[in-house]
Amino acid sequence: MIKILSLTALLWTLLPSAAAAQLLPSEPVRLFDGRVRLGGEVSATIGAKDDEAFFNYTDYERNTLRMFRIALSGVWQPAARVAFLGEVRSEDLEQPGAYAAYIRVRPWPNVPLDIQAGRIPPVFGAFGRRRYQSDQILIGYPLAYQYLTSIRADALPATADDLLRMRGRGWRSSFPVGSPEPTPGLPLISAFRWDTGVEATWSTPLFDTALSITSGTLGNPRLRDDNGGKQVAGRMAGRPATGLVIGGSAARGAWISDSVPHAAGSHAQTTLGADVEYSRDHWLVRSELVWSRWDVPFWTSPAEGSTIGALARWIEGRYRLTPRIFLAGRADWLSFSTLTGDMFGETPIAWEAPVRRLELGAGYSVQRNLVVRAGVQMNRRDGGRAEKRTFSSTQVVWWF
Amino acid sequence: MVLTRLGSGLRTRPSRRTVSTAASALALCWFFGFSIADGASSVAAPGAIRGRVELRQPPADHEPRPNVADLGMHTSHGATDRRRSVVYLDPGPRAAFDARDEPHARMDQRNETFMPHVLTILAGSTVDFPNNDRTYHNVFSLSKTKTFDLGRYAAGRSKSVRFDKPGIVRVFCEIHSHMSAYILVFSHPYFAVTDDQGRYRIENVPPGTYTAIAWNEAMESQSRRITVADGGEADLDFSLSRQ
Repeated sequence: MIKILSLTALLWTLLPSAAAAQLLPSEPVRLFDGRVRLGGEVSATIGAKDDEAFFNYTDYERNTLRMFRIALSGVWQPAARVAFLGEVRSEDLEQPGAYAAYIRVRPWPNVPLDIQAGRIPPVFGAFGRRRYQSDQILIGYPLAYQYLTSIRADALPATADDLLRMRGRGWRSSFPVGSPEPTPGLPLISAFRWDTGVEATWSTPLFDTALSITSGTLGNPRLRDDNGGKQVAGRMAGRPATGLVIGGSAARGAWISDSVPHAAGSHAQTTLGADVEYSRDHWLVRSELVWSRWDVPFWTSPAEGSTIGALARWIEGRYRLTPRIFLAGRADWLSFSTLTGDMFGETPIAWEAPVRRLELGAGYSVQRNLVVRAGVQMNRRDGGRAEKRTFSSTQVVWWF
Repeated sequence: MVLTRLGSGLRTRPSRRTVSTAASALALCWFFGFSIADGASSVAAPGAIRGRVELRQPPADHEPRPNVADLGMHTSHGATDRRRSVVYLDPGPRAAFDARDEPHARMDQRNETFMPHVLTILAGSTVDFPNNDRTYHNVFSLSKTKTFDLGRYAAGRSKSVRFDKPGIVRVFCEIHSHMSAYILVFSHPYFAVTDDQGRYRIENVPPGTYTAIAWNEAMESQSRRITVADGGEADLDFSLSRQ
């Protein structure tokens, strides 16, 4: 960690001065007469440690407010209607991994239908495709796409109390059925991994329609299927007016790993989402709502049945104060359905501790592709061993 | 001396270096612009400078970032004509500064492209940026010569910016990363943009000996001395190389 922080601090110092001296590229690199294009992004985020509340940890056990990331993406387009795309990422200087690797084909030249297969971008929602830090207006991630709930695909609670006991402990939860090793739980949707499968998209100037079939689920994207069923996800988005995008998404797929002994039947994660974006003049506003439900085969079923749910909603906005300076903010809520167990005197209680988050930030564009940001994030959780935490963080992002 | 600097070998990225050196040249041109060029005469008949700017390795079109998060093929955008060069005198003849007007110029946004890609204007000009595209655009510049941000505005609308200071302004769209353009702001009217074949013509140049500079966004700028006779035409060709 010391090495990462040192490198981050060094980049903090060197990147702006290198940019000012015009030493850094600002456009994609073209090779082979433009048939290959390479782009990249480096982001360094410095924030305080959080080894107690784990509000900003990802499913890779990394802190989004304290992260160094290098990403290199590329497109090879050997023909007009065929392209191979990929992205390699390293977070906190660990071994790089393939974040995206897929083929894109347009079968008919005059039909706006594209088919993509491989490790593909998510169809569901809007935030998951804003993969560049530079596309995001704040340093932190929305709770729906990052916050770790206690449920796991490779371990299951045997009773409602097993689940209630893990409230606020999504960063490292454990259950009696399945893997005994404590590991991070699942977010509603993972913004840090992409799923593997095939998707088809139909785009017109007024609307987009997309459908995908993948191995994992929104919360647990996978390279290989280990849950005995495919996930089907779809999205429709319309542009009724310039600057306005309204979208609706749905996904359903088996989510429990085959390694966990559980009763046969449908054990799916079902998710519905709605999103809207509106921009005008110097304003940009985005909002998203995600409702998710998991079928959990409790060995001892609680009175409410064997499903648990979660509802996330957030709204964020950005205002450009000057050509170089912008202000941004996000209000974020994550709540859960209730469950009755013995632990709380048979009083129904949310199966996971509800979380609220308010994040405020400001950014400064040193140049078009070099942005420095700072923010403060306030978290409140109705449970867990740390219920309140406020974090400040700063970030430098450079892309080409 | 500006000319020496333009010909020197600072090793940075081509377009960036060209921008910074040429911007310096334009600024100094403005600063020293009131000096009389060698042998210039206000009573003699004006001449012209014409010629051709050859680009040894023409720059490629701007491409969008390889955004792997797209769910389909990116819609094609208009080609950016990066072959356009600008030839200008540095410094300009004194007569150039005697009269000023405040003309309007126009830089369109069409098919996710700024048109023209290179715009030359006189200081004091106002440039209109009409959005003639199907989508929002957000024209902005962080250039030292002129920093501005017009915000997002829809098709059919137009916003304007006045450019008072000579120099080079690089213009971008905040929404479309492949959209960029250059506005070169001069303090005198002795400049010309090359045509499709690289040809240019600077009119109404008072007789005298001048330094002419050829600029292209991706090339090393080149300066050459040229003498314009009374009422005559002087030929001056340039050959620019990638940095």
